[in-house]
Amino acid sequence: MASRKAQTESLTLVSVLDLNEASVLHGQLTNMRGTDLKIDASGVERVGVQCVQVLMAAASAWEQDKKEFVFEKVSDAFRKTMQLIGIDIEHLLAKEIRQ
Amino acid sequence: MDMNEIKEIFFQECEEQLAELESGLLKLNDGDRDPETVNAVFRAVHSIKGGAGAFGLDDLVSFAHVFETTLDCVRSNKLEPSQDVLKVMLKSADILADLVTASRDGGSVEEGRSRGLVKELEALARGELPSGGAAPAEAPKPQPAKAAPAKAAAPAPAAPSDDSGFQPIPFTFEGFGEEEQTLEPSVFEVIFKPRRELYAKGNEAALLLRDLSRVGEMSINCDVDQLPAFDKMDPEAAYFSWTILVKTSKGEQDIRSVFEFAEWDCDLDVKVQESTAEELPMIPVPFDLSALDDEGAEEDNESSDDHSAMESAAAAAVAAAETASNVTRLAASRAEKKESQAAAAAAAAAANANANNSAGQTIRVDLDRVDRLINLVGELVINQAMLSQSVIENDNNGTSSINMGLEELQQLTREIQDSVMAIRAQPVKPVFQRMSRIVREVADMVGKSIRLVTEGENTEVDKTVIDKLAEPLTHMIRNAVDHGIESPEKREAAGKNPEGTVKLTAKHRSGRIVIELVDDGAGINRERVRQKAIDNDLIAADSNLTDEEIDNLIFMPGFSTADKISDISGRGVGMDVVKRSIQALGGRITISSRPGQGSTFTMSLPLTLAVLDGMVVTVAGQTLVVPLTAIVETLQPEASSIHSFGANQRLISIRNSFCPLVDVGRILNFRGTQANPVEGVALLVESEGGGQRALMVDAIQGQRQVVIKSLEANYTHVPGIAAATILGDGRVALILDVDAVVAASRGQSLRQDGVLKSDMSLAATG
Repeated sequence: MASRKAQTESLTLVSVLDLNEASVLHGQLTNMRGTDLKIDASGVERVGVQCVQVLMAAASAWEQDKKEFVFEKVSDAFRKTMQLIGIDIEHLLAKEIRQ
Repeated sequence: MDMNEIKEIFFQECEEQLAELESGLLKLNDGDRDPETVNAVFRAVHSIKGGAGAFGLDDLVSFAHVFETTLDCVRSNKLEPSQDVLKVMLKSADILADLVTASRDGGSVEEGRSRGLVKELEALARGELPSGGAAPAEAPKPQPAKAAPAKAAAPAPAAPSDDSGFQPIPFTFEGFGEEEQTLEPSVFEVIFKPRRELYAKGNEAALLLRDLSRVGEMSINCDVDQLPAFDKMDPEAAYFSWTILVKTSKGEQDIRSVFEFAEWDCDLDVKVQESTAEELPMIPVPFDLSALDDEGAEEDNESSDDHSAMESAAAAAVAAAETASNVTRLAASRAEKKESQAAAAAAAAAANANANNSAGQTIRVDLDRVDRLINLVGELVINQAMLSQSVIENDNNGTSSINMGLEELQQLTREIQDSVMAIRAQPVKPVFQRMSRIVREVADMVGKSIRLVTEGENTEVDKTVIDKLAEPLTHMIRNAVDHGIESPEKREAAGKNPEGTVKLTAKHRSGRIVIELVDDGAGINRERVRQKAIDNDLIAADSNLTDEEIDNLIFMPGFSTADKISDISGRGVGMDVVKRSIQALGGRITISSRPGQGSTFTMSLPLTLAVLDGMVVTVAGQTLVVPLTAIVETLQPEASSIHSFGANQRLISIRNSFCPLVDVGRILNFRGTQANPVEGVALLVESEGGGQRALMVDAIQGQRQVVIKSLEANYTHVPGIAAATILGDGRVALILDVDAVVAASRGQSLRQDGVLKSDMSLAATG
């Protein structure tokens, strides 16, 4: 695990978050544990349930750590998929982009 | 791997699926109502359909589809799988098998038959019960679209030739039935729990949910409670599950079809929601998910276009142009289905592969290769025996290292041989399953009602034996159905169940496989058999025969009691051929018949045709091999325990019981006089009849594994001798047929010329 840094990290999600990406994403997030995290999901074109699982588990882990876990930008596809699979991410969105 | 190879694999899989299908249907027929059985049946048809679709085998696809639709009604408890229903289903399974064969080998299936069944199946799917199981001659319902699958080559009547230039794709008729039912909008509750495999096979829950959202207005609740802590989670596992409410005017079938190719990898529950008071917080899903379509699921680019066309068409349909919209919708759904199905077929194949993984991995091997291996191992065994013999002969000072090496070699050869033999061992199930079809068809033809009961299908026996068993068994089953079982009226008059029973059992007994065919028919009409034999000059008019001998007359060549020659049996080339094929396998066949109660045919066959553990013995200067499996114990008789019995019978007393002493040398005509038991060794053997006999031989040379070389193939059948083998020193030794020798001795005790001689006379006439 990376050393615990107090700074804010940002993570840009890749365009296709499919099955193969779930482990990668999990690894990336594991390394960023303990930091405030800003996520850029604006480039996401397709997202699978398993990556959503990882993101949601991370969100609650960050919440436990009392760290920030925010989606700064999201693509329409990302937002719609979340809605489709019944995951409410509204509270995780940056204030500016909440609907 | 080229297309043909893949196709070949598909056909091989088809065969497995067909077997699965038939056994499932038979289980249902026996009253099994386990949903898993119904599922297995459904899955089998479904897999065949999926694969056939990938190869463009239209006839197969369309028939499988209709079949599947009806099965689905059973699965969803809309149709009670009664005897009549199952009769249609079993016939459909037969047609499906024929279609598979026709697709593989070319040729065609009688169209009338398949079309008739398609109608019956469709009637069942509509909830009409078959009229007494006979092919209904009812006028086809005015549902042109439904009748279309009967002949895939013909374009569906509804096939559009509209301005869009849409060409009918003769791919699948999926959706025909469903499109027609427009129900009042109702709310379905769908509980969807994907399993890990669903994702592993490349299915994506999000895409399934998207497809579901197209069925109707949908709101969803995602259950995230299963999600573990972040550092403990497996990123590729399935944690989320969903409860979805779908408000749609379509049926449950349309909802299920969304999950069509994923349903084995998820828990799915679809039901009409009764109480509207739902406590779960639902997120409504907007109908416009175009953003997701654009997100580039490659396979969907085209279909999403079609899809919007479908939607607009659907909207237009509300106005008036119902037919037109149906056509467009149909077109759209077809085009879409084509793509998803191709992908899904691959997924299904992967699913199959995975299922196999869990059930132990298998590979398909060409039988020739196995045979070559077995032959080589046989030679290896002989060679190893020769080697050890020459070492023993030349080794005076007992070099232990060589001996130890030889012993290890022997053990290894032994293990190799066992393993190779295990490759060839197969359950008799496929043969037995084929028989059930024969019973059905023949019974149908002769207007009898017959149930085939099978037992011990998992008994394993060498593949060669299985292959050669099918033909004689077919003959015998036909005979049993045609001649053995009486007509329902006669049965009722005799106070029997009008439905006849034919029972086919397989079991292992004393190192052989025993197959029994029992019918509860009238039994052999001995008077008629006798008369027929006299008429055909097979026996003298004044000959005095025992019941058993009369029964055995039916094995004579050119014998038939059927007054009229039927299509099925009775050309007089039946039972003698059966007997010869069984004998060629190193087996024996016996009959026992009780008038009015039926007949029992018992076949006893060797488990393998390749090797045998034997005891090498000397009889009158000859070396013989006695199969070890038959021997219970060996003992040195004492003069005090030998008792004379009758003119030339002797008994030996073993632990306070008497056992007939059989002089092998005498029975095989190796010597004319009786041997002195005290000078020899007695081998206590168990014979097929169950009784014990003491075989008298001069000396025991040792115990050895021998490679069986057929006498029939290389020389000719010799009564009392099962086969031959080559010993370590290169000499040929005969393998004793214990049961034949015992039978011969018994024959002697009953009548002077025993079974052995009558056997020979039969062989002579044959």
